[in-house]
Amino acid sequence: MNPPADTPFLARPAAPRLAAAAMALGVHAAFVLLLVFGVSWQTREAAPVMVDVWTSLPPSVAVKPPASTPPPPAPRPKPEPVRPLPPEPVVKTPPPPKAPDIALEQKKIEAERLKKQQVAEEKARAEAAKSAQQKQLAEQKKREQQRQVEEDEQVRRMADAEAAQAAQQASQAEARAAASRREAAVASVVGQFRDQISAKVRGNTRLPDNLVGNPEVRCLVRLLPTGEVQSVRVTRSSGNAAYDDAVVRAIEKSSPFPLPEDRDARAQFVPELSFVHRPKP
Amino acid sequence: MNPELNQDLSLFHLIIHASLPVQLVMLLLLGASLLSWWFIFIKLFTLKRALRETDRFEREFWAGGDINVMYKRVSGQRETAGEMERIFAAGFSEFMKLRQQAGLSLNVIIDGTRRAMRATYQRELDNLESHLSFLATVGSVSPYVGLFGTVWGIMIAFLGLSSVAQATLAQVAPGIAEALIATAMGLFAAIPAVVGYNRYTHDIDRLSNRMESFMEEFSNILQRQTSKAA
Repeated sequence: MNPPADTPFLARPAAPRLAAAAMALGVHAAFVLLLVFGVSWQTREAAPVMVDVWTSLPPSVAVKPPASTPPPPAPRPKPEPVRPLPPEPVVKTPPPPKAPDIALEQKKIEAERLKKQQVAEEKARAEAAKSAQQKQLAEQKKREQQRQVEEDEQVRRMADAEAAQAAQQASQAEARAAASRREAAVASVVGQFRDQISAKVRGNTRLPDNLVGNPEVRCLVRLLPTGEVQSVRVTRSSGNAAYDDAVVRAIEKSSPFPLPEDRDARAQFVPELSFVHRPKP
Repeated sequence: MNPELNQDLSLFHLIIHASLPVQLVMLLLLGASLLSWWFIFIKLFTLKRALRETDRFEREFWAGGDINVMYKRVSGQRETAGEMERIFAAGFSEFMKLRQQAGLSLNVIIDGTRRAMRATYQRELDNLESHLSFLATVGSVSPYVGLFGTVWGIMIAFLGLSSVAQATLAQVAPGIAEALIATAMGLFAAIPAVVGYNRYTHDIDRLSNRMESFMEEFSNILQRQTSKAA
């Protein structure tokens, strides 16, 4: 059966399906890329760090005594070769030339012989003494040398210690100087912020009509670390209750106070700030 | 070092090492997300085109051209005609046919014309609204599906924890992380679907209001012309 002539319009323009599919994939790809590269999925554990706590700075490496290299061995004096003692002169006793019939002569010869022997003995003794003296002298020299070496070593060690001490002192002085510089910087920052806070509070103060002169109000302000005012207490009144109230309201209205970024400077403000206010600067 | 502390928590690592039900949930959600984005773009193009064609046709119609000429042009391009053009063509062809039949009262002719236009209107609206229910379903269900995956993953993670003597956070952390990816995916699928659904429903409502107004106005015009001629 043929469809009637007035068939309704059933065919439609095709929707751009492929383009839509490509765009859908693109959206997902972009999202995945964002996740992969935008978020740090890695959790790296920091390696454990060992810390030595020093009360003072250790001496720098340069002035450390070179403990590793032993001091050069003292030049040992060469032991003097023991000189061979001269051979004992053999005293030849001349045979009695003649028959000892003359006792006197024999006696005389005998005395002479004895004398000669004595002389030789003396000589030998002197020789031995001389060699012993020489030996002693050499020994003394050697000892002297050793002492010299030891003295040198001591001097050097003392110099090292002095240098280390000097370095330590220098580093301490430097640390002190840095600390004082830092204190000065902190003080300047504190002053700056005190001025800022004063200016802010002053701008928010509505002075009462009956104010006379330039009375001073002292307040204790408790601050949160964010600079927000937690509470205000008047520690010394100006004598004018209306003015005191006005200052307290101004402080509350000035919350949050400007606070320095610096930790040390911030410590001057948080958690309590003693605040002095005058109507005119 | 404890190997569990140093685990690679990259996205792909977490997905690959997830338990099977969680992986299935993730796959389902990925499919839902892809499909819903596909429909979002298709609807975007279709609705843009419908709006453009409707604007153009309304301008042409109210510019006061000859209705017969317009009808001939529209029926010559049956496939590319816009929604309102189709309603117009259906109504006008029905009107012509009814008018050629003798002995029909004006009311009958106009009623027939309106019925023809309404039928086309319903069909067009149905075409415009196709796939919108899918977006609605994804928008409302995929967070729950993701939540199911997450609950399952956390359950597995804690079951694993029961068998160790010393329970540490490092033993459940990867399991919970992989489980939470399922919720993230569910939300990622749901949010655009809900936004798209609301946006397109609103657009289609406005279009259908315009078409209904046109139907009423066109029937009035036809009624006026017929009573004038009679």
